[in-house]
Amino acid sequence: MYPTVVKRLIFSHFSTVSIPRRFSHQNSSVQQPLPQTTVDETLASATTSTETTDEAHRHDRQSSREGERRRGVEYEDEQAHVLEAALRHVVRLGWSEAAMIAGAKEAGVSMAIIGSFPRKEAALVEFFMDDCLQRLIDRINAEEDLKNHVHSERIAKLIRLRLEMQAPYVPKWPQALSIQAQPANVPTSFKQRAMLVDEVWHASGDQASDVDWYLKRTALGGLYSASEIYMLTDNSPDFRDTWAFLDNTCSFVKRHWIEVSIFQH
Amino acid sequence: MAFLTSVRNLRSKLPSMLARTCLVHSHSTSFGFKEVPEEEKSKMVGNVFSSVASNYDLMNDLMSGGMHRLWKDRFVSELTPFPGMKHLDVAGGTGDVAFRILEKINSISRRALTNDPAEVLNDETQIYICDINPNMLNVGKKRAVERGLGESRSLKWVEGDAEALTFEDNSMDGYTIAFGIRNVTHIEKALAEAYRVLKRGGRFLCLEFSRVDIPILKELYDLYSFSVIPAVGELVAGDRESYQYLVESIRRFPPQDKFAAMIADAGFQKVQYENLVAGAVAIHSGLKI
Repeated sequence: MYPTVVKRLIFSHFSTVSIPRRFSHQNSSVQQPLPQTTVDETLASATTSTETTDEAHRHDRQSSREGERRRGVEYEDEQAHVLEAALRHVVRLGWSEAAMIAGAKEAGVSMAIIGSFPRKEAALVEFFMDDCLQRLIDRINAEEDLKNHVHSERIAKLIRLRLEMQAPYVPKWPQALSIQAQPANVPTSFKQRAMLVDEVWHASGDQASDVDWYLKRTALGGLYSASEIYMLTDNSPDFRDTWAFLDNTCSFVKRHWIEVSIFQH
Repeated sequence: MAFLTSVRNLRSKLPSMLARTCLVHSHSTSFGFKEVPEEEKSKMVGNVFSSVASNYDLMNDLMSGGMHRLWKDRFVSELTPFPGMKHLDVAGGTGDVAFRILEKINSISRRALTNDPAEVLNDETQIYICDINPNMLNVGKKRAVERGLGESRSLKWVEGDAEALTFEDNSMDGYTIAFGIRNVTHIEKALAEAYRVLKRGGRFLCLEFSRVDIPILKELYDLYSFSVIPAVGELVAGDRESYQYLVESIRRFPPQDKFAAMIADAGFQKVQYENLVAGAVAIHSGLKI
């Protein structure tokens, strides 16, 4: 009954809608705590800057944290269970609230819990991204044979490892990309991709932080995204074409990298 | 709904609070609170209500400039209702929130019908509207008929106290209370009851008047509530005092942070609030795990 313009005016000019304050201990961008230290630190520094730190808030958070401990179950765990279960329905229902509802049903909690995810299906995609990154880190730590590869091959191998994780979801992956591209979700999806690229560079044995740090990460980001997009329309068995594309692009970048480096210095 | 019900439980809460806090304009009403015995008060409030029931919608619109509709829309979208939901709306006699929830669920299930008919559980949707005041419930029932929801099996009207709900433990997916918790005598008890009836994963949402802390806006808001609202109340509803009670009860309700801490103390997790109109109204939410 009211034009949206009026709504916009009222909510945007006189409200703080965009910054819901927090009382309990929480981390809205990542549902599952990642044990790996580098990742954890990145996240912690990213989130603490947004939190208010005055005395009253700290007190509130402290007291509610104690309350949570008493009960023994943290809501983040429960949300993670729901999302984990929801992932099993993504192939059928897409990255949607329907999948999350199915997940809640499976996790045995009220479906009302979906309302506690502020950006709904984005939470599901982000959970998947975090989960994949964690699995990738685990694989990197577990696999010794990575060191036997040449640098560029190592990178291709890591990207392939990561892309293989989303292979079952390829028919629905364009939807996930569109969710990640929504303005409200861009900050998190950008951060997640940056973390992924960073992890791959580190795992490939590159610890440098020299001037071409950004260049390296941009190049790898492009390489990853290009392969990801290629994969969406790849109908070859076991995505053979994607891996061929990835290898080719990798060696192409490697060949031209020297030229770029010479150009820089 | 609660603009008027605001008055109904004040009888027991106000005297003690008045003694503690020094109020703006308290001199004009304080003796009224002290002199009137509880039983008479409730009767008075009941009478006030029946006399203004017809103006109820009009008063809400006048006092909030129509914004209460937006607040309620926002509130319900925060809840994210779903088909098959078992929901409890406390102090929601006039059905404002309940109708919105039902409409939202209906629109979702219409969409779902085109995708996956097996998922439609609309018949099981149950929205319990609980109010301590039977007059409020009657207004709501009447409005349900006007809206063509008179036959709806999803709406259930229940007379009951927010501090002693008659529903079973772990039976509800959602609990909402819009402009009502301010009037409950013991807020802690109402919160404990909300926690009790909710299922694991169920959510508590509260829409309530709150504090405006932005300097100039605060003064404007005070001026508006203490000068304009009682005057409008007198003019339209013919009852100045009950609207004076309304604005004072808003001042006495705990501010956003304190109320959020109370919700967390009741056992809820992920307690958050969101200010609308600079904090004149706030939406608090909590999650039961």
